[in-house]
Amino acid sequence: MTLFSAIGIAGTGVTVHRKWLDAVSDNIANINNASRTNAEAFRARYVIAQEALDGNGAQVGGIVLGPQGRIVYEPDHPLADAQGYVQYPNIDLAGQMTQLIMAQRGYQANLAVVDRARDAYLAAIQLGRS
Amino acid sequence: MFDDVASAAIRVALDGLAMRQRAIAKNIANIDTPGYRARKVLFEAALAQAIADGRSPYTVRPVEARSLEPTRLNGNNVNLDQEILSNIDTGLRYQLALRALDSRYDTLRSVIRGQ
Amino acid sequence: MPAPIEPISPLLPTPPTPPTLEAPARTAGSGEDFASMLARGLQELQNLQDRANDLAVQAATGTLTDVHHYTIAATEAGLAVQLAAAIRNRAIEAFQEIMRLQA
Repeated sequence: MTLFSAIGIAGTGVTVHRKWLDAVSDNIANINNASRTNAEAFRARYVIAQEALDGNGAQVGGIVLGPQGRIVYEPDHPLADAQGYVQYPNIDLAGQMTQLIMAQRGYQANLAVVDRARDAYLAAIQLGRS
Repeated sequence: MFDDVASAAIRVALDGLAMRQRAIAKNIANIDTPGYRARKVLFEAALAQAIADGRSPYTVRPVEARSLEPTRLNGNNVNLDQEILSNIDTGLRYQLALRALDSRYDTLRSVIRGQ
Repeated sequence: MPAPIEPISPLLPTPPTPPTLEAPARTAGSGEDFASMLARGLQELQNLQDRANDLAVQAATGTLTDVHHYTIAATEAGLAVQLAAAIRNRAIEAFQEIMRLQA
């Protein structure tokens, strides 16, 4: 825990939401990442938030993987198998965009807490100066 | 020298407001945590009561409690809008309390210098 | 009564600072002479200094829970010193005045 504990606590919130943002961005970037049918397709990552163990803020509780890939018939695709099937990640873009907005909101809200805590600490440090 | 009722009340308030600021930070950090209940800090009512009863403000301890507001589907009941407003409000009150103490110190300084 | 020490645990609500001296008997009570009032004042000054020093150490080592505890303690200790110095200067001036009158 840092000396300026409100900043430290908000910092944990910033970290959790940034990791969430990173995971969602990664999911979106890989949404059309084709692979062979006998390989593992890219699976979406979901960051699970939980309260920090010492009660001061939040932490990442774990990563959950989304569903397996879906098979699509595309015989012209370079990675198509003998029957003409290719595997694509099973990721819903709309769902990912919703998560992106929520993660962004949480990220910025926690940054704002850091700002306000800093203002309060600066005011406290000025106390008593003539 | 510094323990009149007003100064004591301000100091208890500063502790309570700092604790509230930490509670708000915890709530906003956990805005997306499933099952998380928002925390809140209470002390104003107890402080007003103590002063009305003529007890020392130092008998009042700020307490942190869990909110019983209804939760969303994931069990989380943090209201972000409310927390942001409370964050701004708490910060301003904190600075106001600091200012109140400062003006008492200034008064004392002028008294000292006036000697 | 020794100066209260700031509790270190950041998880528990920090109890507000109790007064270093009891509030009653601040005005001259029955039979309290100037010398003991002065001694009491100096003790309070020492208590304030000790408390400010303890909190400064906590600030330096990162164990301070609330910033305002240190700045309040430092300001009050500083003002107490200024007040004590002003009182001492006054007392010296008064003493010198008396000596001059007697000469």
